[in-house]
Amino acid sequence: MEIARRVPRILILYPYDERIVATTEAGEAVRTRLLEVTNAKIELFSEFLDLSRFPEREHLERMARYLSAKYADRQPDVVIALGEESARFIVQNRNGLADHAKIIFGGFSRATANNLKLPDDMIGALSEFDILKTAEMARRLQPQAHHLYIIGGSADFDRAWLATARTDLANFSKDYETTYLENLTIEEFTRRVAELPRDSIILALTIFKDSSGSNFIPREAIRQIAQTASAPIYGPYPTYIDYGAVGGNFVTFNSLGTTMADLALGAIAGKGGSSVDAPPTYVVDARQLRHWGLSAANLPPGAIQMFKEKTFWEQYHYVIIATLAVITAQGVVITGLLIERRRRRKAQSESHRRLLEVVHLNQSATAGALSASIAHELNQPLGAIRSNAEAAAVILRSETPDLKLIEQILVDIRDDDQRAHEVISQVRNLLKKRGDIDCQTFDLNDVAASAIKILHGEALRRGVAVHTYPLPRKLPIRADKVHVQQVILNLATNAMDAMLDVAACDRRLIIETALARGSKVELSVSDTGRGIPDGQLASVFEPFFTTKPTGTGLGLSIARAIVETYGGKISAGNRPQGGAIFRIVLPLAQSG
Amino acid sequence: MSQMEPTVHIVDDDQSVRTAVGRLLSVSGYQVALYESGDQFLHQLPGGGAGCVLLDLDLPGLSGLELQNRLLEKAPLLPIVYLSGRGDIRASVRAIKAGAEDFLEKPAPASVVVEAIDRALAQYEKRRLEHERIDTLRALVAALTPREAEVFALIVRGYLNKQIAYSLGTSERTVKAHRHRVMEKLGVRSLAEVVSIAERTGMLDHQV
Repeated sequence: MEIARRVPRILILYPYDERIVATTEAGEAVRTRLLEVTNAKIELFSEFLDLSRFPEREHLERMARYLSAKYADRQPDVVIALGEESARFIVQNRNGLADHAKIIFGGFSRATANNLKLPDDMIGALSEFDILKTAEMARRLQPQAHHLYIIGGSADFDRAWLATARTDLANFSKDYETTYLENLTIEEFTRRVAELPRDSIILALTIFKDSSGSNFIPREAIRQIAQTASAPIYGPYPTYIDYGAVGGNFVTFNSLGTTMADLALGAIAGKGGSSVDAPPTYVVDARQLRHWGLSAANLPPGAIQMFKEKTFWEQYHYVIIATLAVITAQGVVITGLLIERRRRRKAQSESHRRLLEVVHLNQSATAGALSASIAHELNQPLGAIRSNAEAAAVILRSETPDLKLIEQILVDIRDDDQRAHEVISQVRNLLKKRGDIDCQTFDLNDVAASAIKILHGEALRRGVAVHTYPLPRKLPIRADKVHVQQVILNLATNAMDAMLDVAACDRRLIIETALARGSKVELSVSDTGRGIPDGQLASVFEPFFTTKPTGTGLGLSIARAIVETYGGKISAGNRPQGGAIFRIVLPLAQSG
Repeated sequence: MSQMEPTVHIVDDDQSVRTAVGRLLSVSGYQVALYESGDQFLHQLPGGGAGCVLLDLDLPGLSGLELQNRLLEKAPLLPIVYLSGRGDIRASVRAIKAGAEDFLEKPAPASVVVEAIDRALAQYEKRRLEHERIDTLRALVAALTPREAEVFALIVRGYLNKQIAYSLGTSERTVKAHRHRVMEKLGVRSLAEVVSIAERTGMLDHQV
């Protein structure tokens, strides 16, 4: 391969859509690992085949044609196929799409791999979804159980799973009164599990589809079922954890992804290699153990307990020891520390209040700078409303008024009124002075989109083309929404200011979101201006540093204060192709 | 042809504004045509482009002022009325200096829009008639023989017959005859009228 002379291209194929957590989590692990090891010197592409919603052959052929055309000039060097369906797809459509690529697959068992008759040059990370091991863990946790129920859905994949389970559990199920719950609708599932005897073990496979043909994300279906279940549920997937399942034996998606990434790195380096088994683990949700009264002492050795609350001693033993030592040694010091603490608190709340104060000032300044655009955004719908109302008056004065047209006019007036209302509430949000930080979890992409909406008129007026590349997934962060919007607006108006003396057709404002290392999210704002002189890169965030004749030099220092308040970082740089780039990195909020 | 009927050409990228203003003018008895960008308008500019333009200032692609400049060449007779959502003094002064008929701010009452449109359409009619008259005069001038044209060019610069004869190398009598033919062909009786024709057809601008 001649990739040595350029950045290697890696295509990650996802079998379903972006909502299926199993594959996205594995995919994220692949990405993180690849970026880390190659120091981000790599080109990554992702494609979602969407096969749970569009299983038809026509769709597959269409996808193959589309992807071949798309990658014609940039054929990947390595294709990472997540899951069985992606592997089958790439085997069938390798020619044209990835003629010379090394193919790495993963996420299914050796038996499945053999069935697929994968070519010898394809290697992968195999994961044995061993339902028997999960069942045995359930037996250890519930030694007194008499009943065994196995749940599965009606999609092809679900049925295949049920068939596998029947074979694998043939021996195991002899010790129980065993029932397979299949060919049911989701309502029937929830009703049936509610009536099961308390001494039952429930094994949940997958439900991509129920018998009425409704599609599901399996873990969402499991969550619904678990809500009514009268006995513990076990399952062979890590995604079922935190969705009501007690746990199971599986390869975590993270370890699967990392294993696949390592195989890909080997392939880039030109090493051969063969398929490997990704290591499985027993994982349980400690809260579920408590809920069902199951004893952790019965867990298989090496099992991981998630969501386990530490005992008071475990959590605080350092503090306890330290406090005892301090008490016995010197009571006076405590008094001193308390006074110090109170003082610090007071100083903290003072600086907090000042930050809010300054943020508000800056908000007002931004609103002032944008006021012409805001007036414009408001005058558009108002103008339309006025013209529509006057047109209606003219129509009504005629001898045979066109009532259909009047009706349409009223609908349009209502829509424009709504539009004006939205502009006003955006401005109000921008100006709102609040005494306290209003922390909430929200999607960073949403806030970026609403900031762009506010800026739209201004960008148009200045002849700036706005390009946005939001990462196509939710990016939950926890902060004050208005503050974050404020930072984005500030960076974007700065970017537009930086392009004043650039030819109109070259003024581009680019806003992009991406995942960053360590479950963080990055939002970058770049422009096509002259960039920041090297000597000034370090000082742009300093208060009162400004290059603009009318600037206060506070915007960026406030932006930094805001971002750091929420545990984030902000940085400035120049892009190799010219123009400045500002990046903010914020921690992703834990979902749920 | 309906295209030659005076039409209010509405150029506005905001769909709801475009529809509403179009509706209002249409029910008020005007012929209207809607365009979402300056490029689209230029592309579909009907032959001659009868009527007037109701133009938004902020447009994606070609801006209102840029479109105005292009129209000075492509359809100089079309009067332009701006209907803008922005009260931008600088932009409005530039627009008027470049010859815009009026500059209105959204949201403008119907009476104001209608008045401005009527003025613009009247202006268009005036320009069109004047344009036709000049075309007729140009045709008359073009019908002169080369010699008569030379005589014509010198008369309007105030040369006496004697001077004309000298510079064309001919006799004063001949010049008198040419002069008579010129006035006859142009359908005028006095020297003042001949000069006025020369001025209106732009002859005096071109020759120094």
